[in-house]
Amino acid sequence: MKSFVDNRHAPADGRPEHPDNLPLAIHDLTVAYHRKPVIWDIELNIPEGKLVGVVGPNGAGKSTLLKACQDLVPKTSGEVQIYGAPYKSRRSLVGYVPQRESVDWDFPVSALDVVAMGTYGRLGWFRRVGKAQKRVAMDALARVGIEHLASRQISHLSGGQQQRVFLARALAQDARLYFMDEPFAAVDAATEQAIVTLLKELNQVGKTCLVVHHDLSSVTRYFDWLVLLNMRVVASGPTEEVFTRENLQKTYGGKLSLLDDVADRLRHVSS
Amino acid sequence: MSAVKSGRALVLLMALALLFLSAGSLEARESAWQDWDYVWKVITLQSYNARLVILSTSLLGIASGLVGTFLLLRKRSLMGDALSHATYPGIGMAFLVMLLLGGEGKWLPGLLLGAATTGLLGVLMVLAIRNTTRLKDDAAMGIVMGVSFGLGVALMKMVSDLPQADAAGLNSFIYGTAATMILGDFLLILVVTIGAALASLFLLKEFAILCFDESFAASQGWPTFFLDLAMLGLVTAVTVVGLQAVGLVLIIAFLIIPPTAARFWTHDLRGMLGLAAMVGGVSGWIGSSLSALFADLPTGAVIVLVAATIFLVSMLFGPARGVVPRSWRQARLRRKVGRQHLLRAAYEILEGQQPDVAEPIRNLPIALDSLLTHRSWSAQQINRLLRTARTEDHLEEAEPGQVRLSEAGFGEAARVTRNHRLWELYLIHYADIAPSHVDRDADLVEHVLDAEVVNQLETELQDRPSSLEVPPSPHFIDQRAES
Amino acid sequence: MKRRLTILLALTGIGRILSGCGEIEQATGTGPKEYPYQITTTVGMISDITRHVAGQHAVVEGIVREGVDPHLYAASINDVKAFYAADVIFYNGMMLEGKMSDILVRVGRNKPVHAVTEAIRQAAGYVITDESEHYDPHVWNDVAGWMKAVEVVRNVLQEYDPAHRTDYNRNAEAYLEKLKQLDAYAKEVLGSIPEKRRVLITAHDAFGYMARAYGLKVRGIQGLSTEAEAGLRDVELLVEFLVEHKIPAVFVESSVSHKSIEALIEGAGAKGHKVEVGGQLFSDSMGRSGTPEGTYIGMVDHNVTTIARALGGSVPKGGFQAWVKNRQ
Repeated sequence: MKSFVDNRHAPADGRPEHPDNLPLAIHDLTVAYHRKPVIWDIELNIPEGKLVGVVGPNGAGKSTLLKACQDLVPKTSGEVQIYGAPYKSRRSLVGYVPQRESVDWDFPVSALDVVAMGTYGRLGWFRRVGKAQKRVAMDALARVGIEHLASRQISHLSGGQQQRVFLARALAQDARLYFMDEPFAAVDAATEQAIVTLLKELNQVGKTCLVVHHDLSSVTRYFDWLVLLNMRVVASGPTEEVFTRENLQKTYGGKLSLLDDVADRLRHVSS
Repeated sequence: MSAVKSGRALVLLMALALLFLSAGSLEARESAWQDWDYVWKVITLQSYNARLVILSTSLLGIASGLVGTFLLLRKRSLMGDALSHATYPGIGMAFLVMLLLGGEGKWLPGLLLGAATTGLLGVLMVLAIRNTTRLKDDAAMGIVMGVSFGLGVALMKMVSDLPQADAAGLNSFIYGTAATMILGDFLLILVVTIGAALASLFLLKEFAILCFDESFAASQGWPTFFLDLAMLGLVTAVTVVGLQAVGLVLIIAFLIIPPTAARFWTHDLRGMLGLAAMVGGVSGWIGSSLSALFADLPTGAVIVLVAATIFLVSMLFGPARGVVPRSWRQARLRRKVGRQHLLRAAYEILEGQQPDVAEPIRNLPIALDSLLTHRSWSAQQINRLLRTARTEDHLEEAEPGQVRLSEAGFGEAARVTRNHRLWELYLIHYADIAPSHVDRDADLVEHVLDAEVVNQLETELQDRPSSLEVPPSPHFIDQRAES
Repeated sequence: MKRRLTILLALTGIGRILSGCGEIEQATGTGPKEYPYQITTTVGMISDITRHVAGQHAVVEGIVREGVDPHLYAASINDVKAFYAADVIFYNGMMLEGKMSDILVRVGRNKPVHAVTEAIRQAAGYVITDESEHYDPHVWNDVAGWMKAVEVVRNVLQEYDPAHRTDYNRNAEAYLEKLKQLDAYAKEVLGSIPEKRRVLITAHDAFGYMARAYGLKVRGIQGLSTEAEAGLRDVELLVEFLVEHKIPAVFVESSVSHKSIEALIEGAGAKGHKVEVGGQLFSDSMGRSGTPEGTYIGMVDHNVTTIARALGGSVPKGGFQAWVKNRQ
């Protein structure tokens, strides 16, 4: 059986050595709550500059994977290295777009205020948000196409606009590696288009993006690297290699008719 | 209960509250109003006790407003209540310790230290429960509150049974009253207010990001636990100082009411902080001044009443989210929607009446019955709409049982129908929604669009085949009525 | 056979019930079954006078210990046990023991439970109430009024234990004699305070009866109960009063925080009039047991002497005891 786990960087003696130029290298990661493992034995090496889709069924641990990489949930075992060092010392290189439901959008701030939060890490303790930070935030808002909504209260934004605010905030972090948790969830067509354009732009300038995605039908259009996750990594590699019926079956376990349809489309695309 | 009804109920409540207030001071009114001299002295802060109380309660109001805002945004508004329960065992313990050390036991600074210590411990417990179990803030606060209160009661009983102890009144010993404040209280409050102001100045963005998106803050490297602790430590300081200066009820009210009142006026965090501080300060000032002018008004209670009144007014009239502005805005929208529905219905009926669509639509009288069946209006509703349309000069005189659009009305009807159709097209082509669903969505959305967006839509759809001046409705309109 | 058994059982049962009734009747009529019998009281002032009257015939247990605020006192399990074990119960009444009225009513169904103020309450115009019709229960601060309480104790004990009625009478007379002297002392010493200064200012209104009996004016900051809250205007008026009449001293109590009194002192100081804390008074409870202030006479002595001295009256150096000696 051909393995699609990318072991281009795995050394012969089995001990993982991670070259510094890998944006994300995960070795033997297990995260468990209450003795039940949510993800286990994750082994993942993501090369630079890829637009990575992370797909899998509900409860597969996709969000947990992203959180574990950023020390937001405790690891039961394993290690995560970002450009060759633990997350703690690489924070400034990482940008994060959490799920939209993770905040209460009734908070009394404007879109600009939220995007400016992306600059807080660089600003440091006790300093106030100044013109420079506001400019960075406005630029980020412009890149996602909602600079005209800068002074609007976030509860008065639509779902798609809120998602773009979160994206802009991550852009303001000016990172090299981006973690995005379901950015396409429940957004309108225009927003989806804007997000894809932004991702492709990031991809072109060499940023690496790890995007949790739920819609199989768009995976081949959006991502050049794919991670199939169902509590463990089923496959990881370039999309056209990994996105096969066999792998999908291993990941999703049996919804054949849907997968047949997807596989058909694939055939049409590649032919 | 509808917004209008609850609004009326609240106005009634406020009136009753004011009545109560004035009734209480009716007896003693003569002792104050004859004495304009005295009133002037109070207003200009010339009398020592009044000056002390007015300044102290205003400062405390400012501090509580600031600190309470962060509590509100962190969704821990009842922390003041939980804290005051958590201070209870600390008082008993401090008393015991001081007794053992050979003292009298009722030394206020010592008791306060004990109260603050267990208060902080209680806060830590809340954070610990929240971080290590699946319980949320409200459950954690409830647990800490109950446990510390039980502990406190048991401790008090034990202490009062000691043969050599004079523990009379210990459980409320540290609770002050606003009317009887001393210089020491003022100084303590001043220190705490300065602390709160400094925190709001220098830790604003840290607290803001913590309250808004804790996991994002953690991912950026902010020490969320210590920030939480700093915020709650500040709350503890304000609460303990407040407890001993003005008593239990007032400090809890001060922590909750000003921020919630401020929320109705603004959508901006900085604005909310400022307003909350202002509401707290003003309540303190007015409340103490009132109780300085009229006899038999317990100062703390009056301050709470003033704050509550400000809250009621905010809730009713605050432009951001007040009950009255919101219901007024909704009423305005309803009127606009009703007007547009009427005009579009009229236009569609005219379209239906005209057999050849290629020719321009003519403005003819319409039977009232056909309007009624076109949309689901009652006779009462349609009469109201017709009345409004008449006042806006959209209708002309017509035979009874008939309706006729004026020239202006006809133009407006054409415009409204066109917007509607454009939007329907846009939704169909871009949203892949089945045509039969369109009408409902379009109705709601188009009324929120303005002219600018419509122009945008038009330019986008210009290269589409259906670029008639008013594109026909892409779904079938049932013209049963027209027979 | 079965029928006879049932009748026998029924008769035994009835007999037991009847004899049981008889027992209860016996208890109220013929006094205690053994000596010393048990008397349970609430506050220390009552325990003290009861001990003097009962002598060695009864053991007196006070539930509300010294230093505890009786207004808010709630009975514990042990207190309830003491009530049930008692043969006679004395309490103050007039809502002083507000939180114990339930248990007192319940216990009062099968044993003598008496409020020591039941006699004085009958006297026309004696009882002080405030605007909201609440009783002022602090009768003990008026010695003459408390003498009536001693009489109540004596009468109840004489009825309960007629065998020793002469003893009770003798004890009561001896004690009342002392109290008469105490009353005279208070009148003289408090009367020696210069007219203008005869004002007693404390944190809460516990000295109404004392003031009326001995010609003082009394003002409390807080009202009758330790739960009421003061108003700023009232505080200001009090400060003005202090300054106007040049009152030299105000008084603190052990059961209430001193802060309200301090506020008065600061306020008067700001207006240029120096007021001092004249001393700590016993308002709701006596001093520590074993000390002289731990008895009723000692408590009143302390209060009266402290007040008179601080307000400028002429007081013999040893207080009441010295005064009695001088008279002999």
